[in-house]
Amino acid sequence: MDARDNVEALLMLQPIAVDTGSPNWEGRLFLANGMLIAVLVRLDTPEYEVGTGWFVEAAFGRLFGISAPIFDTLEEATR
Amino acid sequence: MTATAPKSMTEVATLQAPFHSDAAIPFPAKQQASSNPLILKLEHACALDETDKAALRALSTTTRKFEADRDLCREGDRPETVHLVVEGLAYRYKILPDGKRQILGLLLPGDFCDLHVAILARRDHSIGTFTPCDVTEIPRTTIVDLITTQPHIAHAFWWATLVDEGIMREWMASMGQRQAAKMVAHLFCELLVRLQAVGRATASSYELRMTQNELADVFGITVVHLNRTLRDLRAEDLIVLKSGRLDIPDVARLKGFCGFNPNYLHFDLRSAEA
Repeated sequence: MDARDNVEALLMLQPIAVDTGSPNWEGRLFLANGMLIAVLVRLDTPEYEVGTGWFVEAAFGRLFGISAPIFDTLEEATR
Repeated sequence: MTATAPKSMTEVATLQAPFHSDAAIPFPAKQQASSNPLILKLEHACALDETDKAALRALSTTTRKFEADRDLCREGDRPETVHLVVEGLAYRYKILPDGKRQILGLLLPGDFCDLHVAILARRDHSIGTFTPCDVTEIPRTTIVDLITTQPHIAHAFWWATLVDEGIMREWMASMGQRQAAKMVAHLFCELLVRLQAVGRATASSYELRMTQNELADVFGITVVHLNRTLRDLRAEDLIVLKSGRLDIPDVARLKGFCGFNPNYLHFDLRSAEA
């Protein structure tokens, strides 16, 4: 279940616009060995009680249903 | 005696008002004092006579004050007393092994936190406060005594338990099948109707002192999704949520939007004939 299991995998972040129905559309497709495992979205507006950072908008496969924190940087998110 | 009782209640309420209220308090003091929330609620179950009402009033005379964000009881405790919320907003919750919290129910003035819980060996969930609360702790023996000697009260207590189950079923239906905006709107409609029944809401607004994190844990969604959902509802002019108050510009429209049917709250008295 842990993303750290993927530490040996080839990780890729691909910029993508995400229709979140909000001003926060800047996103990244998060791929491990060519497979999409998560979609990250940049939260920039201060209205969220959680603050700003990279939010796991959706996750797939072994990450499905995880409740990840909001990551300050993309490096943190990929760790 | 019956003539003096309401007067003294009004006096008590007037005396207490400065400690309870803030500038935004929506209810006229008279409305709050007119009756106690438990009686207002249980009158939807069956007709209560003066003896019943006196017994119910006696239940909530001695209240204990809890601050906001405190636990009334915790999962694993041996239940000794039945809690009755007289003022404030409390909630049932469970913390999962990974630390996630699910809120299982909102407890409003007049709500019991499990009438028959003292039958059980251990509590299976916790109860905490969102706002400062006045709570009565009723010994199990008092409940047993009331239900064995006063048939109307026994009937009304069963009704209250069935309503609690109805609410639980509706929440499950919401979480399983309603899309986020409708699920949130549905809860706001439910709270309006429940709070109106105990004189704690106007025709279209009520106090709602919950954070977005707390609301997110009611619905089992992330706070980010909850925030977007609230913004969508606001953009559609379906709700105005500001400074701990929810205003509904058009109640019929909000109810229509989420398909709200209050049948599960069972506020219609059952008539004598079939």
